[in-house]
Amino acid sequence: MHILAKITCSLIVFSALLASCNLEQEVDIELPAYNDRPVVEFYLEPGQPFRALITRSDAYFDDLPSLENFPGGLLLEGAEVEVSYGGNTVRLNNQLFFNPQTGKLYNYIAEAIVPDQTGEEFELLITYPNGTVTTAQTTLLPKVQIDSVVVEYPDDLTDTLARALTYFTDPAETSNFYRRTLHLNTLDSLPEQDFIADDGIVDDNLVVFGTGFDFEEGDTLINTLYHISEEYATFLESIDAAAAANGNPFGQPSPIISNLQGNANAIGIFTGLVYDRRFDIVEGR
Amino acid sequence: MIRIYVLLIGLLSAAMLQAQEVTISGTITDAESGETLIGATAAVPSVGLGTTSNPYGFYSLSVPANDSLTFVVSYVGFQPQQYSLYLTSDTTLNVKLGSGVQLDEVVVKANSFREQINSTEMSVEAISTREAKIIPVLLGESDILKTVQLKPGIPSGSEGRTGLFVRGGSADQNLIVLDEAVVYNANHLFGFFSTFNTDAVKDLKIYKGGFPAEYGGRLSSVIDVKLKEGNNQRLAGSGGIGLIASRLTLEGPIQKDKSSFIVSGRRTYVDLLTRQVNRANEDSEDFSPIPDYYFYDLNAKVNFTLSDKDRLFLSGYFGRDVFGFDGDFFDFNFDWGNATGTARWNHVFSPKLFANTTFTYSDYQYNIENRITGFSFGLGSNIEDINLKTDFYYAPNNNHSLRFGAMATRHFFTVGRLQAGSEDGLVSFSAGQNFTGLEFGAYVSDEITFSEALSVNAGLRFSGFSNDGNTYVGLEPRFAGRYKFTDRFAAKASYARMYQYMHLIANAGVTLPTDIWYPSTEQVAPQRSDQVALGGSYILSEDYFLNVEGYYKWLDRQLQFVDGAQIFVNDNLEEEFAVGEGRAYGLEVSIEKKQGRLTGWIGYTLARTQLENFETLDPNGRFAQESEGFGPFSPIYDRRHDVSVVSIYEISDRVTVSATWVYGSGDLTWLPPGRFSFQDVQGLPFEAVVPDFRERNNFRLPAYHRLDLSLVWKFFPDWGESDLTFSVVNAYDRRNAFFLFLEPEFEEVETGGQPIEVPTRIAANQVSLFPILPSITWNFKF
Repeated sequence: MHILAKITCSLIVFSALLASCNLEQEVDIELPAYNDRPVVEFYLEPGQPFRALITRSDAYFDDLPSLENFPGGLLLEGAEVEVSYGGNTVRLNNQLFFNPQTGKLYNYIAEAIVPDQTGEEFELLITYPNGTVTTAQTTLLPKVQIDSVVVEYPDDLTDTLARALTYFTDPAETSNFYRRTLHLNTLDSLPEQDFIADDGIVDDNLVVFGTGFDFEEGDTLINTLYHISEEYATFLESIDAAAAANGNPFGQPSPIISNLQGNANAIGIFTGLVYDRRFDIVEGR
Repeated sequence: MIRIYVLLIGLLSAAMLQAQEVTISGTITDAESGETLIGATAAVPSVGLGTTSNPYGFYSLSVPANDSLTFVVSYVGFQPQQYSLYLTSDTTLNVKLGSGVQLDEVVVKANSFREQINSTEMSVEAISTREAKIIPVLLGESDILKTVQLKPGIPSGSEGRTGLFVRGGSADQNLIVLDEAVVYNANHLFGFFSTFNTDAVKDLKIYKGGFPAEYGGRLSSVIDVKLKEGNNQRLAGSGGIGLIASRLTLEGPIQKDKSSFIVSGRRTYVDLLTRQVNRANEDSEDFSPIPDYYFYDLNAKVNFTLSDKDRLFLSGYFGRDVFGFDGDFFDFNFDWGNATGTARWNHVFSPKLFANTTFTYSDYQYNIENRITGFSFGLGSNIEDINLKTDFYYAPNNNHSLRFGAMATRHFFTVGRLQAGSEDGLVSFSAGQNFTGLEFGAYVSDEITFSEALSVNAGLRFSGFSNDGNTYVGLEPRFAGRYKFTDRFAAKASYARMYQYMHLIANAGVTLPTDIWYPSTEQVAPQRSDQVALGGSYILSEDYFLNVEGYYKWLDRQLQFVDGAQIFVNDNLEEEFAVGEGRAYGLEVSIEKKQGRLTGWIGYTLARTQLENFETLDPNGRFAQESEGFGPFSPIYDRRHDVSVVSIYEISDRVTVSATWVYGSGDLTWLPPGRFSFQDVQGLPFEAVVPDFRERNNFRLPAYHRLDLSLVWKFFPDWGESDLTFSVVNAYDRRNAFFLFLEPEFEEVETGGQPIEVPTRIAANQVSLFPILPSITWNFKF
């Protein structure tokens, strides 16, 4: 048994060494053919101008735009874009606009402002230079307020990190979808949390989103609760699923599920953007 | 009128002939252990009469009365027993066969080549526990269910592949029964090991087609596993110590010749090592504790011979995989496993009529418990069955062998049970659905011998399922025929219709413990398949056997998830289903050598599977629009070519070596042919590369191949026998693809004063799971 034990130990060590071998390697592959298509992002934010970003998708291994030509190389120019609502029609100009406050870029913009009118219905029509079209419809949803943000410390007095519990009341009469983001100190940072939720599993109307014990005294927590349409939730979940499946053998890939119609085979989203945002500073014990 | 006259003469002759016959019947057992022998031959060669013992070791043969007969009972690996008989009335003869040829284990399926030629059965594979113990699988653990996958038609190998995909069927289309109780998830460690402890298994048989009428409920295969009954002659034991697990089996008589028991258990112990590592590093701030993981299983069985005509068997299985992490603020515990129980009563009503009545209980469940200070989260699903069935074997004469019976199963489903909320009760979430269902069936089949050359097994099964006021029923004709052209060559054909009333809700074709069993409902109709198979068996020489089979299978009402489906925490899963159809067809060829120092087989399968015409169940579902009418596509397990070469060479009584080589076309996978940029809203980062997935399973991974080697070195100490088994899996260190992913490389640039990650290059990367893996196991028995 002594010899057996030695052999066994040696094999365990040997196996462990082998297991540490590099099991990932770069390979050359040829993907199936792909036809590029328009990509539309059009968010109707009450109080902000009508604006959209329209780009074009590419085959996965096609040449990437050069650093000098970024993001110009991605943009789809020359389209006619108009939005109709309540008897009005807004035409957007094909004009590059960068908003330094939000860090967002648009290549179609109008001076007209999106009305703050819950329930307003909007229709989108995009005509591309090749004559194909994209249409879409959306409605402005009511804002859902964040009721409170509670900061808690663990029972152990030596622990200095706190967590935040964000409470809100889900309107009972409708099925609702939400996007919740949480930023630390600035909106320019990557979010601490960003997820989609719906009220299908909520037993009563009080909903809470929690965090881990990650925050220090003096941190600023920026909570944003978007009340979003089912279509927008579906679109975001399909983007998450597509991104998550690349590199995850157990993931379920998803094609992008848009709310766009028309013969241009476009992907993207046309939706209202209604949210409640609040800033809270983490206080000490 | 003349025809009626001829018929009457025929019936009268048959009656007179029958009047001159008597029946000899009994049970055939292993003299050393008392185990019943399945498929042993009982024959009177001089008059060309013969039969084989049924799955319970019982045989019944009608022979001429008042005549001197030589009655021979034989079984591969045992010394044949010969009796000189002169019978005047029905006689019971229980036969004990001694080991004439030294074999280490009970040979699980011992059909000789000639018996395979004579049988109407086709599309059946079996593996012996001896082969299973010599052929290496991962980390030295023998695994009979993994080894049977080296047979044609059951795609083997594949990096990280779990689940069985028999003749183009999906992972949920296999009926796996352990002592007649259904095992819903036959996997440990996410599928790298099966739930069957080879030490406790007596018999494993897999039907790929030509299903006998007594089986139903799944479309693509039946895997019938029988546990040993326990040695009723003496106390015996066996076990082993391996790199990751140990096992121990004890068996012996409760009352010699009358009753026996067997208890078998095994457990992995990597967690004992990782706990020590965690303990040693608990003061280190940089150290992340390693979660616990282990699995274990227990088998137990007792049997009692109550009288010459009655035997009672009680058996059970309990297995769990446990994954856990306990932290100061965060606990996570995940366990899953099966429990089964069987009570079985064999009764011999008469020498021609044998009955087996079984009561079984099955349970599969998974539970996830998660606690974060002040909040808890629990998710789980389970399926629980209570089943009663009875089967009769009736042999009115040697030209007919009837089987008939009935069954009923009460199913209890809990689908996606979620409980979450705060411990103070202010906040709570819940989800989940409960269903009950009654599955029932009745069948009759007859094995008819028309002549020496022509035999037919014709059967009919009536099945049904009832759930919440919705009832589905189906008629399932079964047919298998054999025509023997010569003593060495037989052609065979079969047809089987199968209904499946339960569906496994699985992700992208990958089998996970969290997969959910879902019943047929008003919207979800039962799956259905029709399979035809044609084949030929040819004895090339005393040593070599050639088998060729072609099959075509129609699959209807196949379930897939719609694109983007949300599987977890969903109160309306049916919204996420799409229903379509499929076709699977292929050709299987095998050459087998069962005698001599060198044994083994070469198998080759050419196959294709395609699914198409999927329609969403709920056209108003969240994801329905994009998924309407999708397909055709092939499932990930569609494998065009599959080769297995298995060779076992007995160098001496002490040393046996084996080599196994497998080759298969790569699995299909779903890769995005396109990409786009996504800006998102304020506060969210610009995603420069988002994959644009289009058609499903659009890319075939590189071919899979692997060589495994083993050496078994036996010792014969005074107390029994032991061996050291050295094995090397993936001997030439082939890097087979587990999955591919596409990885952009980024560079940060300033745009309008804001930093943006810009992709500069995109690479495809392949991830493999297993390099060359040597291992050693010490086995013993006494």
